[in-house]
Amino acid sequence: MDVSLIILCLVVVTALAFDFTNGFHDTANAMATSIATGALKPKAAVTLSAVLNLIGAFLSVEVALTVTNAVINIQDKSGAPNVALTADGGFTLLMIVFAGLVGAIVWNLLTWLLGLPSSSSHALFGGLIGSTMAALGVSGVKWTGDGSKLDGVLGKVVMPAFASPVIAAIIAAAGTWLVYKITQGVAERYKESGFRWGQIGSASLVSLAHGTNDAQKTMGVITLALIASGQWTDTENVPFWVKLTCALAIALGTYLGGWRIIRTLGKGLVEISSPQGMAAESASAAVILTSSHLGFALSTTHVATGSILGTGLGKKGAEVRWGVAGRMVAAWMITLPCAGLVGAIMFWIGNGIGGLFGTLVVFALLCGLSGYMWWRSKKAPVDHNNVNEDWDRATPETQVPASAQA
Amino acid sequence: MTQLFFTAIAQVLIIGLVVGAGLPALFALGVRSMAYGAGGDAETGHQVGHPAGRVAGVLIFAVVLAAIALGIAIIVSSGFGYKVSFEHIVPTFIEK
Repeated sequence: MDVSLIILCLVVVTALAFDFTNGFHDTANAMATSIATGALKPKAAVTLSAVLNLIGAFLSVEVALTVTNAVINIQDKSGAPNVALTADGGFTLLMIVFAGLVGAIVWNLLTWLLGLPSSSSHALFGGLIGSTMAALGVSGVKWTGDGSKLDGVLGKVVMPAFASPVIAAIIAAAGTWLVYKITQGVAERYKESGFRWGQIGSASLVSLAHGTNDAQKTMGVITLALIASGQWTDTENVPFWVKLTCALAIALGTYLGGWRIIRTLGKGLVEISSPQGMAAESASAAVILTSSHLGFALSTTHVATGSILGTGLGKKGAEVRWGVAGRMVAAWMITLPCAGLVGAIMFWIGNGIGGLFGTLVVFALLCGLSGYMWWRSKKAPVDHNNVNEDWDRATPETQVPASAQA
Repeated sequence: MTQLFFTAIAQVLIIGLVVGAGLPALFALGVRSMAYGAGGDAETGHQVGHPAGRVAGVLIFAVVLAAIALGIAIIVSSGFGYKVSFEHIVPTFIEK
């Protein structure tokens, strides 16, 4: 078997692994509120979300081949890789993508271990920026774009990250306030059953939107790797097997459920009731769909967190745990640089050693780090049985971000 | 870039408020309507709501469902190279 083909296979496997972490990291965005209010049983919620993610991934047939163009300069406008980077049989480009993906996965797993919802797209962009800087220097990164549209790290990542949670919080707060105002004095039994259905419907919409948005990022990355190594030439289409495996990976990840993050979002931030849950998910769905329609890039995670926080602000007497919110924001701020640092280090190691052996060393590092974090998580497991345990009375071990013991 | 940014934010915020806060409010109105005539918070009796309230409630829920269906149509159509146009007020699919 050809050496470059083995490297390509490792890149594809790693990309699918990233897609998988993307799925379980983001289950919480759609389903945390429905699980917390008991509108859906935990297992039923993750199953529903997984199915909708799978459907969503297939619905997005739009070519996402140019996904890296938002932040780095390794492809041209049509999606074809830079000629300079493929001169060596595509090794440099594959290594940039590979190291970037490793950085993204490591950061996703670490934040999952800490129970912190952080953006998977920021992790991916961060990892790619880091590995690109290690490979090509600062000029390899598209910091601002040419000013004609919102582009580059500033326009596609930094600015939306500050704005989107605030927008989502305002909308969710307004929705919550209206819902409570309108249903004031209505018998409890009508509210309970009515808002449960509203909640399930709005959460489903968020899941579907997530599948259409996020799965195609990995599809784009894998197709780029295939083109770089000469296995695929069509920049207009994504191979069917790529679409299928990406859809399955994100759905499987979603089904596994990032229980630690679901717990933080559903129980940790605000004590949530059905009307609040519906308001939060409606706000999230509206913001995500409007932005992606307008081409304004934002992270599902930031929106969902902002919405849940907003429902706490919109309901009189609801308590928002600002300490938990503060830790989340801190995690968001460092997501990009941390994933970038891991990406850069992985590139130096992989490229420094070079060839198949370098790639294998990086892959072994990824497996080792992932295995270690999985092992740590077993010490204080959070799963579908204890995901809804009372936050304040919980043992410090399962109150994951508060203990931050890892 | 700053100007582009604020335009984008304003658009998302306004549409988001109308759809993201308006639809839940409408839904709440539907819930209220269903409960019309069925007693308040105290829940002393368990009688069913007034028929007129139920009819209004179902109508309101239908509007909410239609809005959601439109949302899904927008996602799906953009994936297949179409977009939903509101040019003739009634949403229609046009090729991008």
